[in-house]
Amino acid sequence: MENPGYIALSRQMVLRRQMDLLANNLANLTTPGYRGESMLFVEHLKPTQPREKVAFVQDLATVRDLRAGPMSHTGNPLDLAIKGDGYFAVETPEGERYTRAGGFTLDPDGQIVTAKGFPLLNEGGAPITVPPDSGAVTVARDGTVSSDRGELGRVRLVGFGNEQALAKLAGGLYDAKDQEPLPLEQRDIQQGKLEGSNVAGIVEMTKLIGAVRSYQAAANMANQEHQRQRRAIDALAGVRG
Amino acid sequence: MKSLDIAATGMLAQQLNVEVISNNIANMNTTGYKRQRAEFQDLLYQEQRRVGSASSEAGTIVPAGIQLGLGVQPAAVYRIAEQGAMTITDNTYDLAINGKGFFTVELPSGETGYTRSGAFQLSADGDLVTPEGYLVQPGVTIPSDTIHVTINANGQVFAAIDGQVAPQQVGQIELATFANEAGLRAIGNNLLLETEASGSASVATPGADGFGSIEQGALEASNVNVVAEITNMITAQRAYEMNSKVIQASDEMMQSVTQLR
Repeated sequence: MENPGYIALSRQMVLRRQMDLLANNLANLTTPGYRGESMLFVEHLKPTQPREKVAFVQDLATVRDLRAGPMSHTGNPLDLAIKGDGYFAVETPEGERYTRAGGFTLDPDGQIVTAKGFPLLNEGGAPITVPPDSGAVTVARDGTVSSDRGELGRVRLVGFGNEQALAKLAGGLYDAKDQEPLPLEQRDIQQGKLEGSNVAGIVEMTKLIGAVRSYQAAANMANQEHQRQRRAIDALAGVRG
Repeated sequence: MKSLDIAATGMLAQQLNVEVISNNIANMNTTGYKRQRAEFQDLLYQEQRRVGSASSEAGTIVPAGIQLGLGVQPAAVYRIAEQGAMTITDNTYDLAINGKGFFTVELPSGETGYTRSGAFQLSADGDLVTPEGYLVQPGVTIPSDTIHVTINANGQVFAAIDGQVAPQQVGQIELATFANEAGLRAIGNNLLLETEASGSASVATPGADGFGSIEQGALEASNVNVVAEITNMITAQRAYEMNSKVIQASDEMMQSVTQLR
């Protein structure tokens, strides 16, 4: 008797969470290295009577869109973009973390760091230091950092067996959890460029319209169910309107 | 609804973005101006269903959990130290730096300021000063009976004095560089100050290893690329609009709830 209302409610609950997800994607429309997420909905079957089941909806997971974002030219020598697969490794107080956001700067000691001040790591797992009085820094496509003082180190790029299982942290960082980072054979680092967010505004807007309309449809259904029950009670109780 | 707050962070971020872009466009003709860029980062994530948690007794695990992000935040607004174009002015005391380095200026407060803008003039005493009248360091004084001044690529200042055959060296311009130029603090009037983040200044004559050289009679134009700024502004404006639509849509969803009865 109550199931239609609950089914509509299950739809509304997941739509609210999807709305949060869409809002986050759109808020990060210009965040370098950001990767859009979408929600994976599944049927959740519950038997009501023998040989009869009703299907609720459940949000099983958020799925990250792993396509590369558009490259934009910035002209900043320490803006690095990864063409193809891979992540930069950075050292944080909580341990090694990985990122696609390649907007680096120098710290007072000349180390190449992220905007939050976490050092970018080289192949040996140590920070890369640029001497204070050296000239322009160049980063080759294979990740070799050099200046007029010679080679300064090679940027570490890593891949993962299952990129979806990386946990997202604030600031464009990923936590590998239990996965071991794998060294990358194919590496192509572009200097002076930044990988933008791979969120397509138009797609998110259409999803947004869809979410609002579905929410309204579910609300409408809940309302009609409420009316139906009231009419049933009125009719069965024999009350004259 | 969280989406309201999330969209608000998005709108605030784009507002900052437009502010940075408008400052770049306003300074497109400012000598020695370095364009700035706002960089953004995603905010914290809320875990609704943890990645890798067990989904059954048979040991199967959740391959991708539910992580809901809470919006965006500005991470940094930094200067891009790309060389600006050289504009020939043929003015004796217009100096441009070709390469790395800053002119050193003594501020009235006694602090040392750094600038890329080499539009210098002479004071009443013949000292080399900025348009605000601040002294260039180390001081250069041009004798009053000078007929011609030459400043070479290494910053040596030669004065041809009336009645003398050989030009006389009257000063030496020096340049300062920093480990992290982006860490300098801008105080307006094309001036920058040293900070904890920039590291301390290392001073040398122009043309030394890692230092730029001096061009007399030229000015370094701002490195703002107007076409890029305008396209960035269009992107920022559209992103702003899309975030405002999210607020509208969340509002509509809440409205349909209140209409339920």
